Amino acid sequence: MTLDDLMAGLFLSSSDSYAAAVVSERVPRTVFSLLCGGALGVSGALMQAVTRNPLADPSILGVNTGASLFVVIGIAFFNISTAGQYIWLSIVGAIITAIIVYGIGSMGRTGNTPLKLVLAGAATSAILSSLISAIMLPRSFVMDQFRFWQVGSVGAANWDFIAIFLPFLVSGILLAFIMAPSLNALLLGDEIATGQGVRTGLLTLVSAFTGVILCGAVTALAGPIGFIGLLATHLMRLIFGPDLRLIIPMSAISGASILTIADVLGRLIGSPGEVEAGIITAFIGAPVLILLATKLKVRSL
Amino acid sequence: MINSSTILIKQGRQRRFRKWLVINILLAALAVALCMAMLLLGNTIYPISEVFQVLMGERIPGAYFAVNTIRLPRMMAGLFAGLAFGMGGHIFQTMLRNPLANPDVLGITTGSSAAALFSILIFQTSNTVVSLASVIAGLVTVLLIYLLSSGSHFSIGRLILIGIGIQAALSAVISYLLMVGSQQDLPAALRWLSGSLNGAKMETLLPLICTVVIFAPLLIVLGKQLDILELGEESALSLGLSTNKIRLILILSAVLMIAFATATTGPIAFVAFLSGPIAKRLVGTGFSNVLPAGLIGINLVLGADLIGQFAFEVRYPVGIITGLVGAPYLLYLLIRMNRKGYL
Amino acid sequence: MKSTHKLQTEQIVAGYDSKKILHGIDVVIPNNQINVIIGPNACGKSTLLKTMARLIKPITGDVILDGKSIHKIPPKKLARVLGVLPQSPIAPEGISVADLVGRGRFPHQSLLSGWSEKDYQAVEEAMDMMGITELANRQLDELSGGQRQRVWIAMALAQQTDILFLDEPTTFLDITYQVEILDLLTDLNRKYGTTIVMVLHDINLAARYADYIFALRKGELIAEGRPSEIITDELIKEIFELDCTVIEDPVSKSPMIVPRGRFHVFS
Repeated sequence: MTLDDLMAGLFLSSSDSYAAAVVSERVPRTVFSLLCGGALGVSGALMQAVTRNPLADPSILGVNTGASLFVVIGIAFFNISTAGQYIWLSIVGAIITAIIVYGIGSMGRTGNTPLKLVLAGAATSAILSSLISAIMLPRSFVMDQFRFWQVGSVGAANWDFIAIFLPFLVSGILLAFIMAPSLNALLLGDEIATGQGVRTGLLTLVSAFTGVILCGAVTALAGPIGFIGLLATHLMRLIFGPDLRLIIPMSAISGASILTIADVLGRLIGSPGEVEAGIITAFIGAPVLILLATKLKVRSL
Repeated sequence: MINSSTILIKQGRQRRFRKWLVINILLAALAVALCMAMLLLGNTIYPISEVFQVLMGERIPGAYFAVNTIRLPRMMAGLFAGLAFGMGGHIFQTMLRNPLANPDVLGITTGSSAAALFSILIFQTSNTVVSLASVIAGLVTVLLIYLLSSGSHFSIGRLILIGIGIQAALSAVISYLLMVGSQQDLPAALRWLSGSLNGAKMETLLPLICTVVIFAPLLIVLGKQLDILELGEESALSLGLSTNKIRLILILSAVLMIAFATATTGPIAFVAFLSGPIAKRLVGTGFSNVLPAGLIGINLVLGADLIGQFAFEVRYPVGIITGLVGAPYLLYLLIRMNRKGYL
Repeated sequence: MKSTHKLQTEQIVAGYDSKKILHGIDVVIPNNQINVIIGPNACGKSTLLKTMARLIKPITGDVILDGKSIHKIPPKKLARVLGVLPQSPIAPEGISVADLVGRGRFPHQSLLSGWSEKDYQAVEEAMDMMGITELANRQLDELSGGQRQRVWIAMALAQQTDILFLDEPTTFLDITYQVEILDLLTDLNRKYGTTIVMVLHDINLAARYADYIFALRKGELIAEGRPSEIITDELIKEIFELDCTVIEDPVSKSPMIVPRGRFHVFS
């Protein structure tokens, strides 16, 4: 496709060339994937900060599988069919899953450790995805979208989606920016943060909530896309160090780029069809999880 | 010289052995009953006598086709895969001294599954090649986990985390293969992601049956060695066990059985994980749990498949049922281990 | 019953990865004695014990039992002569005391056999000796630390070896149990003539219970001999870099060290 076609598609609404039509379809997709990636990046950064755990990520903790399950339940049993309704169900699912996983992962004397949190997330994910399969198997109308709820993709994007999603994204990211300095203090431990005048309870609650809502909203519209939070934040941490005032906005940008690149890559590899972005991100992200696991000190496992 | 303390020790030991024996017999009996149920039940329920006649080779119209070409292979697939997953899982869990360190969580079954799917899709190859690819992938996965986790600071927790990462990457590979192979239909996906006995054929079962017939007895014999290995490297060495040799034999046999099973039925979710802990719960620790773990594997697979076939309006593949049972148990186990501070 | 085995090391250099911990050690283990290895942390005493007990392969040098390298003796045969109790042995969850002690019989059993009369006898003797017979059918998880340590020693005893290695058998135990364990090991030595080689942290307990002491520092053997001959102010100064006065233990007449710090020193 030439640059001329691209321009025509972007700016001449009456253009009717085939290429232009393709472009006008691809624009919302690109915008949508940028927004979703940004939201997932910030969500990951928030979850890592709140749990003080470098392996926290919406997919590793099973939060987006929980979101996915709730949407599937809504479709299968309550005839839910609009994106606006998906989002609320998805957020509820994400919140409930987050509470359960965090609760199990932080049981016992040692509190939440990377290993315990990841295991709790993996086990919860396993249950939730079995449930998703069990619900969908007998229902052909959801089966059409089967892969969408198992592996996330930004392929269904349109301007309506973006309009629904935008308020969640904007308020979430704004909240995250505002909380970043206090979260820096929280990283030093509850006692020190309290000493520095941070209301730790409230801060933890609000940031956890924000992180979960961001990933819930993404999952409602794009399905469960994994590992963006992990990839985005650790990449930025390598470059900018541990300061969350930098990490949070930068994770938004890197998350957006990673997801968009993954989407493009998926379309290239899968041509003439496409490979869902969720497959690509999992394939790139899992090695990062392995790398982090080999780097962790035994004491902090 | 017989005195009261000998009697105390002997009685305790004999009591534990009787318990082991009784439970094994019960498990075997249950397995036989489930096998029978697999043959009798279906769209048409044939009388036992007719099923027997068919098994003896009589060509009874209707029953012959249903029993011989559909139900018998399905039952055999469940029987041998269940045994393989149950024993293989128990070997890993005991050797690594952690129930979470099993082929499901570590991604070994996922590796075998990805390789099997790959060779089916890309090369459209014969069973032997599929099984072989599956075995190689299982071994490579084990090797990869070993290499990545065996730095200077080994910890079982790290090994499990690395396994989870590998599993996630391999699941992505399976999703990708399903996509490019345009096998996007749900049954195919479920088979390679969580296992199914659907469409089992007698001729595709042969590699699995041979492997199990050779290696299951070997593993039962090596049960004692396995239990010594469980005492830790240093104790095992001091008791005169050639730890490296035994470990290698155990891993190879376990991976072979699991890989062949996976190539045939897909990675039936959580059977390799559940069988060992259930065996331990039922039998205790005094005698080798290799055999009971294998029997429990059979019962889990056959039981879950019967439930999946007949308990609901829709037919669910066996992996969905074992997944629904297994994942909560995994969660329960985590909670228990967290409470006791084992993690 | 006297054992006639001869265990010695030849210039062993050992360690982990590329880091050498022992720099060429030559020792001959005296028979039918309680031998104790002492030295400061990280001096290589545990490494020496593990190397002699074939848990670690030396980088160079060798461990010789009756004129033969221990790494050339079939493992099971060796396990009938050399027993080891590691520092932190691992028990399977839920195992009963008798079953665990019985696992010490492994080197005496064939591939498929169950417990023979001899196995039962050995297990019973070991448990009697450690005074844990009544615990036979209890689970190890339910026992106290001191009881558990006696179970582990019983497992090593059931192996019926002439030489027994123990890596810090008294760590993590209260002083009461430390003395109890060392008394039990002395019983074992007196009754069966078992050669005992162990690492101990506490110099005074070592000086009291040992017939023979090996003193290590930075991977080298500094001194060896009877406690009364070698435990002196100078030796302790040399290996521990600690000023002390050695007096006679009022109870055992063995040497006893009294450290001199910077304070509370009147003589």
